[in-house]
Amino acid sequence: MPNLLEVDDLYVGYDEADVLSGVSLKVKPGKITCLLGANGAGKTTLIRALLALTPTRQGKIFFDGEEITHQATHNIVRLGISTIPEGRRVFPKLTVIENLLTGAILEKNKRKIGSRIEEVLKIFPQLSDRKKQLAGTMSGGEQAMLSIGRGLMSAPRLLVIDEPSLGLSPLFVKENFKVIRSIKERGITVLLVEQNVKQTLEIADYGYLIAQGKVVASGASAELNKTDQVQLAYFGSKQ
Amino acid sequence: MLLGSLDQYLINGLVLGVIYAMVAVGFTLFFGVLNVIKFSHGDVLMAGAFAALIAYISLQNFVSISIWMMVVITTTFAFAAMALFGAIVARFLVLPLRGAPPLNTLLITLMLGLAVREAVRLFYPNGSNPKPFPKLLPDTDIFIFGLEIRHDSLIIIFGGLAAICFLHLLIKKTRLGLSIQAVAQDSETARLMGINFQKIVLGTFALGSGLAALAGVLNGLYYNEINFSMGLLLGVVGFSSAVVGGLGSILGAIIGGFLFALLQTIGAIWFEVPAYKDVFAFVVIIAVMAWRPTGLLAETKSDRV
Ligand SMILES: Nc1ncnc2c1ncn2[C@@H]1O[C@H](COP(=O)(O)OP(=O)(O)O)[C@@H](O)[C@H]1O
Ligand SMILES: [Mg+2]
Repeated sequence: MPNLLEVDDLYVGYDEADVLSGVSLKVKPGKITCLLGANGAGKTTLIRALLALTPTRQGKIFFDGEEITHQATHNIVRLGISTIPEGRRVFPKLTVIENLLTGAILEKNKRKIGSRIEEVLKIFPQLSDRKKQLAGTMSGGEQAMLSIGRGLMSAPRLLVIDEPSLGLSPLFVKENFKVIRSIKERGITVLLVEQNVKQTLEIADYGYLIAQGKVVASGASAELNKTDQVQLAYFGSKQ
Repeated sequence: MLLGSLDQYLINGLVLGVIYAMVAVGFTLFFGVLNVIKFSHGDVLMAGAFAALIAYISLQNFVSISIWMMVVITTTFAFAAMALFGAIVARFLVLPLRGAPPLNTLLITLMLGLAVREAVRLFYPNGSNPKPFPKLLPDTDIFIFGLEIRHDSLIIIFGGLAAICFLHLLIKKTRLGLSIQAVAQDSETARLMGINFQKIVLGTFALGSGLAALAGVLNGLYYNEINFSMGLLLGVVGFSSAVVGGLGSILGAIIGGFLFALLQTIGAIWFEVPAYKDVFAFVVIIAVMAWRPTGLLAETKSDRV
């Protein structure tokens, strides 16, 4: 099957130095592909480049066969990519429902929007009691649910998730991984950025390990788990 | 000794409050979505009033239409012309300066305001002199709760309030409004939702500028006179109102506008010399700012629109 997302020899940086130098990766449809790596490895930078929030210096990005490298962010999103950004980034002065509505801002059909809201509230029943609450006043865990829910509101083909468990209690982290697995079961392709090596490799089909802006290991999750680099990263992140 | 009756002070204060609030809302919208202060805003108000005057003069000569139709057409024309102008300024002057220090935008728009002002003075026939603005609204009196009010004042107050409420509903209840709020709170994440950032910025500038044009028309209808420099004081007052209310907050801007008008009214009643009312209002505003540097409805980084 063709790849849903393909990154080819990507160079990205903020100032002078490159943060990513020659990253290539593939995301297969219907699977969970994970991106592992220590803090500062360049994972978020890669996500930002995919969505054209940070300009690409060199290399190409394809989504479903179409080159998206230098397109505007909103046009890339229109193709069916949804993002749960690092740090959740819910709109603090919007209510829970309004936040969900921003996720479906491209959808004109009111009935579809309504049924998606229902679906999201079914996945996260805790949000149902807080429909009118301002997102900025919620706890980190609730904001994480809202951010994931908002990401699902566009019924995306590819869901990009950047460190969903950052700063959450172990209980929430476990819950998050369960939700991500169920998202895959709905037929949505997932690109998951994580530092939680063990739990991530348990749900992912395929993975890439990034260190200092380069892919240093990749493969099916079970094999990746055995490589020295991942073992090292695993122990590194465990301490 | 009072120069007028208390009724008149009250009505005058309400008219001014509405007009100031309309100007202040524009400042707060621009700051909300783009973090910029657009100092040509007062001159857009003036240009809007002149646009309405031009529409009136052109129509009056060769068609006979009812006076109400005239009000609608001239107002719509002024709104549309300034909305377009606002979008063009955003596209070619404000957006390209994103990333430059905010002071640059402030200075550039200050100069733009000067250019607009001078252009009207030079190119409008006999533009340095005040121009009579048509008396389109009836000036008959009515009595409400024992207050003697002129019809035109009442229409101006309610027209302005309607415009503000309309804008509020637009922002709170529509898809466009949701996009504006999202951009104001976190423009990067808004783009991740598929929102076209530039389109929303242009739309917001169009809205704010159109609202200023309406304020200019109301001002003209109230005083039946406009001039090329009328935007100077109104711009400063609108800006102060927005700042005192808490830049970025729409409700704050509205409160700020009415507060300023209230202070002017108190000043006018208190001091017998009319010129002191502005001094009094500004002094109090400065005191409020010293007490609450971020405005009455304090805006934090996340408290936008
Ligand atoms: N906005 C920025 N400006 C300059 N450097 C940045 C910026 N964001 C990230 N970096 C740098 O890029 C590198 C990679 O960061 P990032 O992609 O956030 O890593 P990760 O998500 O893997 O933790 C880090 O060295 C970081 O300091
Ligand atoms: Mg990161």
